Amino acid sequence: MRATQPAIPFTVARLFQKFVVLVLAVVPFLLVFAISFGEKIEGAAWVWSFELSNYKRFFVGADYPNSVSFLYLKYLWYSIYYALIASILAVATAFPFVYLMTRLSRRVQTIWLVFFLCSLTFSEVFIVMGWDILMSNRSGLPMLFKESGLTDWLKQTGGLDIMRDWGLATPRNVRFKPSEFATILTMTYLVWPYAVILLYPPVSKINNEIIEAARTMGARPATVVRTVVLPMVRTPIVGTILLLFVFLLGAYVTVAVFAEPAKHTLSISVYEAVRGATLNAPFGSAQAVILLLTAAAILFFGRRFVSHPEGR
Amino acid sequence: MARLLSCTFMGFIAIWIAFPILVVCLAALNGGRTMFFPPEAPTFDRFTEFFLTEEIWVRSLRNSLIVAVGSAALAVLAAWPIAYGLWRRADWASKLLAGLASMPFALPPIVFGVGLVFFWGYAGALGNLWSGIVSHAILFLALPLTTLSIGLQSIDRAHLDAAATMGANEATTFRTIILPQMLPFTASGFFFALVLSFNEFIVVFFVSASGYSTVTVQIFNSLRNGFTPTMAVGAITFITVSALIFSLIARFGNLPQLLGADSRKPS
Repeated sequence: MRATQPAIPFTVARLFQKFVVLVLAVVPFLLVFAISFGEKIEGAAWVWSFELSNYKRFFVGADYPNSVSFLYLKYLWYSIYYALIASILAVATAFPFVYLMTRLSRRVQTIWLVFFLCSLTFSEVFIVMGWDILMSNRSGLPMLFKESGLTDWLKQTGGLDIMRDWGLATPRNVRFKPSEFATILTMTYLVWPYAVILLYPPVSKINNEIIEAARTMGARPATVVRTVVLPMVRTPIVGTILLLFVFLLGAYVTVAVFAEPAKHTLSISVYEAVRGATLNAPFGSAQAVILLLTAAAILFFGRRFVSHPEGR
Repeated sequence: MARLLSCTFMGFIAIWIAFPILVVCLAALNGGRTMFFPPEAPTFDRFTEFFLTEEIWVRSLRNSLIVAVGSAALAVLAAWPIAYGLWRRADWASKLLAGLASMPFALPPIVFGVGLVFFWGYAGALGNLWSGIVSHAILFLALPLTTLSIGLQSIDRAHLDAAATMGANEATTFRTIILPQMLPFTASGFFFALVLSFNEFIVVFFVSASGYSTVTVQIFNSLRNGFTPTMAVGAITFITVSALIFSLIARFGNLPQLLGADSRKPS
């Protein structure tokens, strides 16, 4: 198509606009990377430098080789652990739902989508608030357990002791927070609508005729799902799990409210180092870089794992 | 039988998603200072507190609105040239630019938040309201970028060729053919960014410092003293705004298409 050249000032303005966007989107990440090599001055701020001491502190502790501490590796482990379980749980339960939803009429689908977009955008602070009420002792689940006699029953049968081993009870009552259970449950809830929205396009493209053809040829529903539907959506399913995982790696409010301090994640200690009590910007940056690298590594291996069976 | 089973499953999902939201919203009716569910001594006093009398909430709601509207408008303005260049030229430079511009949205927001603290620190703007607006505009740039790209791709090339044959230059074609067709997509991009910015927590938490606070930050900061029913009014406000905006997008735009479902079927 023929295009007349726009006026010079317009072109300059457009280039400038793109330049500003680029600077704002990229420079913050570069700063995090650069500052992660900086050095903290005791009792003062920090200075530019190039040393690996922050990374050393992350992996083996500040006092290595005199003593070894894996505190931050433990935080990283909990970041990965919560995020992985929650994202797999969310996709596993959301997939059958999305499949059923896409078989409905376009109008009903739109209503469901509006419903999920509302819950998707609902701020993490409100969601945490909702689950906090639901799991608090005076109302919500423990109350329900008590009123329905379930707590007493658990006490008599020794179920409470088992729950205590899982960190879900005190000697006298059930107690759901803080616990791993509460953290993972809330995280799953947090990304559930994301899972729906991400799975929606590929699943809506699953052709009904192929499924009907398989059914006519005598395949049972379970066989159809296993041999026809799942191979078609393997790539988007793994892709969705990965995206949710990366999103959850940075979850902050949920962990701050629902996880025991000993089982906090990297995002908490990043905040503590950059804005909070410990104030060590270089070390906080190093932790943020490691969080990013973890996300990148998982994305990379996840993509390799899928390895495009359709040859696309 | 299978139908009944699937309806039960979908009903169960609806409850699982809606229940916590409902609980927060109903907690706003509590008469006392503590969150009970079901609410005790129901009253609407918390609403007047949140919207009118309690300075702290009135101010943070105003900040939330300013940041959301400002950043969404800025994001749309910044996304237009990028999406347009990507569509017209589709060369490696525009692809790279679009990819880099979407990076803050795709990576864990906490890392972008840390980077912004340094960035605004050097610029001497940490804790300013305007730097918060710019931060959110960049964070959510990917949303209008996506809706605009989807919209531009759905424009019929035949219209453009017809315009070119009749001697229209790029500016005229843009004004008379592209812009009118793109209005719904521009609006959806704006509102997606607006709603997400309104609800965003972690990046504002980092960049607002003690300069100002939005509703989400204020709620997190008040968390130490426990949740109060007044906060739950905020939840009602936010979910209402989301529901309203997404219903409008669904009513006037094609939501399944915007979310990437097969777009050829008309709704």
